[in-house]
Amino acid sequence: MLQSTRSPASTTASSPGPDGPTDLSQQINDSVRHRFVIDTRPGHKLGEGTYAIVFSGHYRTDPTHLVAVKRIKKNADYHDGIAPDAFREIQFLSELSHPNIITLHAVFSTKSQTLSLVLEHLPGGDLEQLFQTPRDQLAYSASDFKAWALMLLRAVAFIHASGILHRDIKGNNILIAADNTLKLADFGLARAFAEPGRNMTHQVITRFYRPPELLYGAMHYGAAVDVWSTGVVLVELCIRDFFLPANTDVEQFHVVEHMFGTPTEESWPGVSSLPFYNLSSAPPKQAQWRAWAGARLQMLGGDGLEVVSGMLAVDPRRRWSAERVLRHAYWGNEPQMTRKELLPRVPGKGGKKKVGEDLKRGAEGEGEGEGRVEKVARKLDFGSMRN
Amino acid sequence: MSKAASRVANGGAKGHAQDGGASPLSSNLRRLSLANPPPKPSAFADPSSDICPVCKSSRYLNPNMVFLVNPECYHKMCESCVERIFSHGPAPCPIAGCKRTLRRPKFRRQTFEDLKVEREVDIRRRVAKAFNKVEQDFETLRDFNDYLEVVEETTWNLILKIDVETTERRLRQFEEAQKAELNAVNPAAARRVNEPDPTVLSSTSHVVLKKGATQRKVASAVNTPDPFIEDTKTDNGFIFRGLKKPKPPPPKKVFDPFEGYGITPDYYVTQESYDVDWLTWFKDDKAHSAGGFGMKDFYDHMLCESFAGLGVFVGEEIEARENGASGDSAIGTQTAAMAAAGGAKDVDMDDVF
Repeated sequence: MLQSTRSPASTTASSPGPDGPTDLSQQINDSVRHRFVIDTRPGHKLGEGTYAIVFSGHYRTDPTHLVAVKRIKKNADYHDGIAPDAFREIQFLSELSHPNIITLHAVFSTKSQTLSLVLEHLPGGDLEQLFQTPRDQLAYSASDFKAWALMLLRAVAFIHASGILHRDIKGNNILIAADNTLKLADFGLARAFAEPGRNMTHQVITRFYRPPELLYGAMHYGAAVDVWSTGVVLVELCIRDFFLPANTDVEQFHVVEHMFGTPTEESWPGVSSLPFYNLSSAPPKQAQWRAWAGARLQMLGGDGLEVVSGMLAVDPRRRWSAERVLRHAYWGNEPQMTRKELLPRVPGKGGKKKVGEDLKRGAEGEGEGEGRVEKVARKLDFGSMRN
Repeated sequence: MSKAASRVANGGAKGHAQDGGASPLSSNLRRLSLANPPPKPSAFADPSSDICPVCKSSRYLNPNMVFLVNPECYHKMCESCVERIFSHGPAPCPIAGCKRTLRRPKFRRQTFEDLKVEREVDIRRRVAKAFNKVEQDFETLRDFNDYLEVVEETTWNLILKIDVETTERRLRQFEEAQKAELNAVNPAAARRVNEPDPTVLSSTSHVVLKKGATQRKVASAVNTPDPFIEDTKTDNGFIFRGLKKPKPPPPKKVFDPFEGYGITPDYYVTQESYDVDWLTWFKDDKAHSAGGFGMKDFYDHMLCESFAGLGVFVGEEIEARENGASGDSAIGTQTAAMAAAGGAKDVDMDDVF
């Protein structure tokens, strides 16, 4: 549903005249940009990726309503338009509206023709930080796991029902909001379901989370690729480590085959027709998933293991759909899932006190750069007295 | 020899003289009342408070000696006596003149030096546990104050041993009634409350001295209401005016796997397969099937796209937005959904192919 508040993403608009905005699109763009206050000071970046810098900001009318502004870096390859990943992100996020998917508040462009995406502010870290935190600093139970898994699967089922493949589901891209809601983010590789006959690239999805059909070079795949990635993320959340780590694509074959066995025509009809099937010439391996999972995935319980095994079926046609997973009795079974507000948090993320400390640290970092004036401001910092 | 020892003990026991000996205590408690304050404790204080009244061993000879009391009669005795007398089950209190039956697990160290305070705190704790209403439970402040008065009266009846039999019975009835009520309203909360609290006084002052299976039966009888109370089930012990009716908990929500975000098509039903010429080749193509390309997903997607926008009336949405002062897009969406629901009746499209 198109929101009227969103501006048309018009970076190719006519160049601004010397006396301010000239045409309508420019005026709309400026009015959208004026709705946000963005903190572009050097020490205040929220993060920086390969193709974008993320700043913090807030609504001009409501300073408590925080946003994250993702400013797309100029890409030399796409100087005449929008980089495809930014375009995908704008396209799909403006169509999707779900509590477990990151919200795109607005899009605008600046005078230097860079595009900015105003996204939801999600201060709670991400799922990878969650399972990478040592056990003594962050403990979570089967109930917590179930709550997280449910939120993730709701997001995945929703995008699939909307005809969209995410194609980059991994712990890094599952962010945590201040109220502990998981939010699926980074739709830079997403695309709509392809029509039959249309080739899709198999070089998508971060390697650890790449399903076997993509490893074997399938050009026609479906929603099952996201389900595999989701399954891997869930296993990682259980074992608190990477599940199928590999340094190269070839090594990834071996890791997957080592765990799930070498696929054959019986176990996966038609697999030999996939382009890279012969690439693995090693003697066939036996699946050790059952034994491994029984020993390592005790957090899941019997029903949970059934669900995750379904999500990690090697044959994509036997793999469960996200919807089927959601309809499984596991979610209603004991242990009951933890209420959202009681979920454990990544240490150092979220919480009023922590935010206050972060703010202070930022001020210190800046004090080095800007000299005496900032130190005065730091002395007048009453933030620490509030609690 | 023992005389000398006791004299030494007396010398060291000056500080403990206040807490009173064991044997005069029961009479002391009996006299405890607001109307006629008890005589000065010094007159009744037993100088030999560091000597166990049962085995007469003194702290001088055994510095690690620990005195225990039983909230049944508050007679003090040393730990080894408790072990010796009560380790094989309930036994009568060894203090002369006290016929109460004591049980081993109930013995504990006293918290307060003054055993009268100790007893009062115990009683208050027990009464407060039964009468756990708060002001919000009552219609008016007057009713709440009346209730508090009844509670205080009951407490003092127990402390001053006035009408103990009746008060105990009414209190027990009230507890049972509360429990039953809670069970009906909120089983989880009831479980929490019903957990036995070791600090609570035993409400049965007449325990039959038997062992083994019968003993277990006695123990369980403490929890189940007496048969004769069963007869007067309608009597709740206490009746308070102005109590609000207990609210039944909201019915448990049915788990919705999609949290209301499931997408169910209004206008079409996707079939397993569609026989269209240009699709047949792809259906049989191995590269498509082995790669996990979902033809069903494709059908779904195509049907969804072809019907997308049906039942959405932009004009109405704009109208609704302009009427609504806030310009909330949710209102427009809502009307659109209603329009879609209404529109769905006119259109009969089960299968377009």
